[in-house]
Amino acid sequence: MSVIGDRRVDPGLSRNRPHGNVGVLRIAVVVLFLVLGGRLVQMQLVDGAEYAERSELNRIIVESVPPTRGLIFDRNGQPLVQNSGSFTALITPGFLPEEPGSRYRLYLYLEDLLGIPALQIEEAVTAAEERGQRDLPLPIARALDRETALMLEQVAADLPGVTLSVEPRRVYPGGPEFSHILGYVGPQSPDEWRVLQEDGYAYNEVVGKVGVEARYESALRGNPGTSITEVDAQGDLITTIERTDPEGGRGILLSIDSDLQRYVYELLINTMGEATTAAAVVMSPVTGEIYAIVSVPTYDNNIFSLPDPAEEYKALLNDPRIPLLHQALSPIAPGSTFKIITAAAALQEGNVTRYTRRDVDSSVLEFIGEDGQPYYFYDWRVHGDIDLVEAISWSSNIYFYMASCGIPQEGIAGLGSNTEQSAIVLGYYARSFGLGQVTGLDIASTESPGVIPSPEWKRRVRSGPLFNPEDRDWYLADTCFMGIGQGDVTATPLQIAVATAAIANGGYLLEPYVTRQILGPDGTLLSTTEPSRERVPVDEEHLAVIRQGMRQSVIDGAARLAALPDTLVAGKTGTAEFIDPEDGETKDRAWFTGFAPYNNPQVVVTVFYDLGVGGTKAAPTAADIMGYFLEHVEP
Amino acid sequence: MSRFGVEGSLRAWDRFDAILALTALALVGYGLVLIYSGSLGSYDGPTASLENPVVRQGLFALIAIGAMFIISRFDYHVLLHYAWWLYGASILLLLVLIPIGQTDFGSTRWFALGPIQFQPSEFAKIATIVLLARFLSEQGGDARDLRVLGGSLAITAPVLLLVFIQPDLGTTIIFAAIWLGMVVVAGIQRRHMLFFGAVFLAVLPFLWTFTVADYQIERISVLFDAEEDPLDAGYNPIQSQIAVGSGQLLGKGLTNGEQTQLDFLKVKTKDFIFSVLGEELGFVGAMALFALFILLLMRGIRAAQIAGDIPGQLIAAGIVITILMQAYINIAVNLSIFPVTGLPLPFVSQGGSSLLTLFLGLGIIQSIVMRHRAYRQF
Repeated sequence: MSVIGDRRVDPGLSRNRPHGNVGVLRIAVVVLFLVLGGRLVQMQLVDGAEYAERSELNRIIVESVPPTRGLIFDRNGQPLVQNSGSFTALITPGFLPEEPGSRYRLYLYLEDLLGIPALQIEEAVTAAEERGQRDLPLPIARALDRETALMLEQVAADLPGVTLSVEPRRVYPGGPEFSHILGYVGPQSPDEWRVLQEDGYAYNEVVGKVGVEARYESALRGNPGTSITEVDAQGDLITTIERTDPEGGRGILLSIDSDLQRYVYELLINTMGEATTAAAVVMSPVTGEIYAIVSVPTYDNNIFSLPDPAEEYKALLNDPRIPLLHQALSPIAPGSTFKIITAAAALQEGNVTRYTRRDVDSSVLEFIGEDGQPYYFYDWRVHGDIDLVEAISWSSNIYFYMASCGIPQEGIAGLGSNTEQSAIVLGYYARSFGLGQVTGLDIASTESPGVIPSPEWKRRVRSGPLFNPEDRDWYLADTCFMGIGQGDVTATPLQIAVATAAIANGGYLLEPYVTRQILGPDGTLLSTTEPSRERVPVDEEHLAVIRQGMRQSVIDGAARLAALPDTLVAGKTGTAEFIDPEDGETKDRAWFTGFAPYNNPQVVVTVFYDLGVGGTKAAPTAADIMGYFLEHVEP
Repeated sequence: MSRFGVEGSLRAWDRFDAILALTALALVGYGLVLIYSGSLGSYDGPTASLENPVVRQGLFALIAIGAMFIISRFDYHVLLHYAWWLYGASILLLLVLIPIGQTDFGSTRWFALGPIQFQPSEFAKIATIVLLARFLSEQGGDARDLRVLGGSLAITAPVLLLVFIQPDLGTTIIFAAIWLGMVVVAGIQRRHMLFFGAVFLAVLPFLWTFTVADYQIERISVLFDAEEDPLDAGYNPIQSQIAVGSGQLLGKGLTNGEQTQLDFLKVKTKDFIFSVLGEELGFVGAMALFALFILLLMRGIRAAQIAGDIPGQLIAAGIVITILMQAYINIAVNLSIFPVTGLPLPFVSQGGSSLLTLFLGLGIIQSIVMRHRAYRQF
């Protein structure tokens, strides 16, 4: 140690015994460790249990395992929906390489693979980072095709931060003619989520929005499984603690015949002419099952499983023909098809019999109104001296005025003791045949009940500042027009089909349905829809008279064009007048409702066009549909 | 000349502070146990292997203890004599670091010397302590004079700034604490203290805006330097809080902590080793660690108390302050009462160069303790 020698530093000669503030150090040690100790007491002893719980949550993941959604088939087992995958490329900014150069190389690579410009990706990632969403997967390309998705999946392992997500998607291969029946699925609305989360729905799970998809949501969805796993910080599985497998959704076998549905759809399109909307219902008068139910125009329900349907959806909403509206479930004046109900009411009430005659020697009938003034009610032609069967056959308006409101100036009574009573009685029968209320068709849709007016209804609806007091009164004309399916009466094509079925099957009001069977995930039959029927308050002998009139109409009446060579068809035309709000002209809506074969009804067909004459436009279409049905469809 | 010779120090061996050395060894042992538990997930090789972090740390500890004994044999006045040279060398090393050092997540702190990482700031701590001790003692060991105070600040400021721009917030604070602690021991006047306190408080908002208002990345790397925090600035604090808190009174048992073993904790044999302790050994285990640290630091303060001369006292004080602040900041980070900054827990965290520096410091303290009578009799 001699190296130090004389050159050693002077150790502070002024004081040979240092006495600096060493005590301050002791205080510092004690104070700092007290701070740490205090914090430990708070974290470990006071809040320890809470942290212990968070530690559990940290590693125990309880996940719902989504079930595979059930499929929907037509009556012959043709699939109408497929489950497919929707592939999305995701970037989690927090896992990207830190170094800007290698980041950009990764973007360039993705540009090659996905066709998304690298600069655009960079912008999106930067924006997400600035929002502080470093750990949230950011979608950069949606709806990838299968090949690209597979390629991305292969390389994603070597691209830090890049992942591929596969989400289930519904594909409807049948075409737009099935959209109104099937409906579509979509993300839950906040309101739906509030209800559905109690059934164990995940917030991002899709749910049926309309149609069969919505009506049979619980069956189609199946039951989700659960998996409870212990994971490490990377989210990698350590052990599976518990797992219950999901139970796949049920299959649904519709009563719809997809070939018939397509045939009817194309037939309506091809025969529309000037009409803008059309509808047709083909149903069984025996069970109530629907073979085809078509609404024109329609929409493509596949657009709702696109990642961003906004554009297409907007176009649909802006279409003046309202393609989203189911025309067969939308009420409109039924016109003369309603006469079959008026006939049933009059026969049952006895104010008219099969043989009651009326000489319609003029197409004008003068009524004396409540105010003493004459009113002129028109028929569409001079029918001559006719009985009830001929009146149905030729669709005489004047005969049915007589049958419903009576002809007071001739002392002929209507359905009731007075004008209002007549309307109430007719309304009772109309409701008995299913009008004025929803049919209960098992399609979640905007089915409207339509209107069967009554004096009470009129007083209620016509009140308010927009109406005069006399608008609220019920007049003779109200009852008369109601008797021929005009005025305030509205009904949907489906309601008219159900009413026709009740006449065809001898008096049973059926609840129509499109779902025939529910199948287990493995295809086993779980349940079959039991037809539900209710007796209408009209005797069979009276219904036989109406059937005879409808048969006569096809043989030699207004519905001649509905005839088929090999089958006895019965039917009733309807030509409902309306005033076009655009040009103020009086125009016609075309209706036809009928059944076949006459002696053993197997099918009811109701056809509607929003423009046209029933006998020349709707009747031939119905004949084609019946012909196709009897040849191709197994009831 | 015998008091500088080997005989002198031989006579002094009975004054060697065995309690100080054994406490340090106990801390290292505690650390080995925690490193073992913390490395179970990442190391699955044979027990007797140089790859095993426990074995490595044990070997480094042996080397470091050897170094302590060697240093304690030398008279600390050698260091004082070369104080300016040591100081100059550390400034140079810190400057050289700027262009050629290793950068991790935006922070440049160390050189790679083959397999060994060398952190110039570790070296600079000792050099600064020694130079401050020499400077203050040359001025009569008295910091009451504002000129002396200014001089000591001028010595500290360059290293402090060079560390700050690395950036290394934790070490910057340690340098500030070294300076403050040493001038306090040297008898700073209360009004000067107040003055510096006021200046510090006045400058703080500027520092804050400067670091926060700048681009986010810079903020993270300066304030919450991202070296140990690559995932996201909030991740590690949350996970270490959960780990420590969930340990409760007795802990989950060694190797049984889910936060530790399932990898929710990061750098768990180094910066977050205290969280491993908190989770697996609980409040009781933490109190045991605190007791060891307090004992060690009190023995260091004792050395300052009995030191034979002013530079000895100041050096001992500086080393005590370094260990205290490093332990405090590290544990405070683990308890989320301090922003994440890459400081190891002294004696406990895995890391050879840190261990070596710490035991060198203890060696210097031993040297001071062993010679306190010799200089007192001067």
